[in-house]
Amino acid sequence: MLEGTRSAFTALFDNAVLHQIERMRLRPQRRLTNRARGEHLSGKGGSSTDFADFRDYAAGDDLRYVDWNIFARLQRPYIKQFQHEEELHVVLLVDASASMLSGGKLERAKQAAAAFGIMGLLGGERVSAYAVQGSSDSRWMLPPGTGRNRMRGLLHFLEGVVGGGSVPVEQAIEQMLKFHRGRGIAVVLSDFLTFGSLARPLNLLFSAGLEVWGLQILSEAEIHPDVQGDLRFVDSETGETLDITNASELLHVYHDQRLALSESLDNLCRSRQGRFVSVSSGESFAAFLFDRMCRQGWVQR
Amino acid sequence: MRFLSFVNLYGAWFFLALIPLVILYFLKLRRPRVDVPSLVLWASVLNDQRVNSPFQRFRRNLLLLLQALLLCLLVLALMQPFVPSTAEVAEYTPLLIDCSASMGAIEEATGKSRLEIVREQVREQIENLRGGQKLALFTFAATGRRLTEFTDDRRELLRALERVQPTDLPAQLDDVLRMAAAYTGSFPIERVTVLTDGNLPDRVDFELPFSLDVKRVDSGDANLGITELSARRSGAEEWEVFVRVSGSADELRGAELQIFENGQQTHTEQLEVGREESERLMIPVRATGPVLLEARLVPAGFDSLETDNVCWLSLPATRALRVWVAAGLPGWARAISVLPNVEVELSTGGEPAGSEYDMVVTDGDAAGASVAGDNGAPVVLHVGVIPEDVRGLVGLEESASVVVDWDRTAPLLRHVQLADVQIGEQPTYAAGVGVKELEERGYEVLVDGSAGPLVLQKREGLRTGWWLTFHTDRSTLPFRVGFPILAANAVESSMKQSALSEVSAAPTGVLPGILLEADREYTVKAPGGELIAGRTTATGMLTGIPAAEVGRYDVLEGGDTVAVVGTGLLSLSESSLVAVEELKFAEAKVSTGAADRLEADRPYWWLLALVAFGLMLFEWWYFQRARGSVE
Repeated sequence: MLEGTRSAFTALFDNAVLHQIERMRLRPQRRLTNRARGEHLSGKGGSSTDFADFRDYAAGDDLRYVDWNIFARLQRPYIKQFQHEEELHVVLLVDASASMLSGGKLERAKQAAAAFGIMGLLGGERVSAYAVQGSSDSRWMLPPGTGRNRMRGLLHFLEGVVGGGSVPVEQAIEQMLKFHRGRGIAVVLSDFLTFGSLARPLNLLFSAGLEVWGLQILSEAEIHPDVQGDLRFVDSETGETLDITNASELLHVYHDQRLALSESLDNLCRSRQGRFVSVSSGESFAAFLFDRMCRQGWVQR
Repeated sequence: MRFLSFVNLYGAWFFLALIPLVILYFLKLRRPRVDVPSLVLWASVLNDQRVNSPFQRFRRNLLLLLQALLLCLLVLALMQPFVPSTAEVAEYTPLLIDCSASMGAIEEATGKSRLEIVREQVREQIENLRGGQKLALFTFAATGRRLTEFTDDRRELLRALERVQPTDLPAQLDDVLRMAAAYTGSFPIERVTVLTDGNLPDRVDFELPFSLDVKRVDSGDANLGITELSARRSGAEEWEVFVRVSGSADELRGAELQIFENGQQTHTEQLEVGREESERLMIPVRATGPVLLEARLVPAGFDSLETDNVCWLSLPATRALRVWVAAGLPGWARAISVLPNVEVELSTGGEPAGSEYDMVVTDGDAAGASVAGDNGAPVVLHVGVIPEDVRGLVGLEESASVVVDWDRTAPLLRHVQLADVQIGEQPTYAAGVGVKELEERGYEVLVDGSAGPLVLQKREGLRTGWWLTFHTDRSTLPFRVGFPILAANAVESSMKQSALSEVSAAPTGVLPGILLEADREYTVKAPGGELIAGRTTATGMLTGIPAAEVGRYDVLEGGDTVAVVGTGLLSLSESSLVAVEELKFAEAKVSTGAADRLEADRPYWWLLALVAFGLMLFEWWYFQRARGSVE
């Protein structure tokens, strides 16, 4: 699926998948939008054609929104309120550190980021993208942009993300927030395997008006490690080693720890009115996006 | 209280091998490197409380612990731990092993003999010899035998032990104790251990120079055996054969006694025998010539000891006792001639060969001296003669003498009253001479006179000589009632000596003397097939043939059987399998106590080695077993 063809629009997935993605939209839990007009309906009174509510007329209100039929019946002026359509800012943060290089995790992160970005752009949202990577040669940030025309730039940016480096994800989030402005959704695509605490960066995201969507991508080797005996594990990011004795005897503890990490991240996200899901990089992308994401309400067709 | 001890305490230095083991374990370079995206999860695994619980820590280092345990077990096994026995450990320990016939008694349930049980105990003792401890093995039955010198060579001791077999002889402790005592001058022997079934004579004529530790084995079940076999002449051609069968069990047990005369079964008797009720049977046997009588016992049930079930008795050809009386002793001739089964020849001055007569009565004349010489009769009665070799000690004076005292238990003087006998001669000791000097020359004083010995007795092998140092014609003895009794006693002794009145079966030990051609070489074929060479004396007596086995002994001359003799165990104590509770020595008593096992140190090195081997197998299985899938 990832193999690029001459006719493919992007190397991240084929055109059939792209066409399906184009018909999908993001489903944020809250309406954290920018003031700028967009296609997302605001909870505030807006100027869209969708009726929202009535309220008493107040001095200074635009007389065009007075409901004259009600005024004729009740002899009192009421103002019609409409849904406000505002612009949603979608921030894509792709963890491209060295730990994401194994098991196709980075590829899956780039695919998911591209899918969410395309949905945002075609939904009329502002989409920006950031890559957490140690390489200084490649671009690490795609400035916010809107519209279908921005789609190629987004895909080009994501295709160019090169993995490597040892920047932890929490540090990358804080770095990203230095450049970001606007409310919306922050989609963090990472394995979240960091020794640091994620509570602070998620708090910062929440404070910045971003709904946190945490997407943990783990490889099959991380979900079902096949290890036994006495081993020396080498960290792909830091090169640090850890000696494990009789690893097979510790696998059940490993699984418990992995599930505990996922649960912890889920709680962190949920407590900030966000979302979290852990997926395997070995899982089919179509199944992940068109089935699992839909069923969990992240996106809608 | 007994604590664990170690034979090789220096082996503890090998515990230092734990240090390189631990170092190598933690520094081993062959730990495979596995690249993982992040150590986060594995680090959290190591920080997990479950992993750091003592048990999990143990599991994490299970291999190290197993290897350390394995090493410790091997080092402990190398140190040869043992629980010392309660018995004192002496540097030099003689082990006296009873090999008498009762040691061959078999237990019905296990089929093991007493000697086999003892051998197992001794084998254990040998295998657990401590450093510096030396054993010497002795066996004893009727006599003692040294198997090894003091040695700590286990192989030599075990080889010697394998040679120990039960014999057909009764037990005597004296001889082997003397052998062991002979070593006390060369080795510091403090304690001697006797391994026996307790079937020993309770009186031991020995002064213990060391402490005696008697270890008794109790094994063997009910036993029946022939304990006596003898015959008494009841007529010119008739014998009464007496057989006694004894048992060791409390309850009565049945058996069949079979009598064979020259190989032909002639009598069968059914009998029941218990410990308290031995059976005595009298079987009449008519025999004109020599008869080899075999008594065979066939017990109805299990019999613990087989060797006492058969016994032989040689009945000589019946004939009259031939007595030669010197011409100067007609009174003696008359007194003897009235006795039954006696042919008396009163000397007429000739010089007949002494070997033609069973008894010679002489007064010291030339013919008599010749008859009673080295080639003389088995029994010689000298009248009025002082033995030549004591003439310097005892003289004869011309004065009256009276009998002061006499040995009333001597066969010659049984029922003989000598109190009022007047003697016209006075045998007198030389100055400074007494009974002791005569005894040193082998003479026994049977009758003491007022100044010297009146009757002397000397036994030389199968020959018996009596010397009346006074002439009976110069005393009132021939006129006393004691005189014919004295003559009858002499004839009876002579008849016994010549086996004409009573014969008894020969017990194992040494064959009884066999009268054959003089100065001839003979070969005796033992029951086991062993050939023993022997030479008869000038009187034709073949003596000193060892007979350690129960069975028939054939005397061969150039391949022809010239005589047959049989032996039997014939020991009431051996057949009864009874153990004495106490051994009485000259100055001490030694309790044999209850059955007491020879205690040996209990080694545990083999157990540790076994556990180490099991641990190694477990380690191999644990780390090589197929891994189950992880949920």
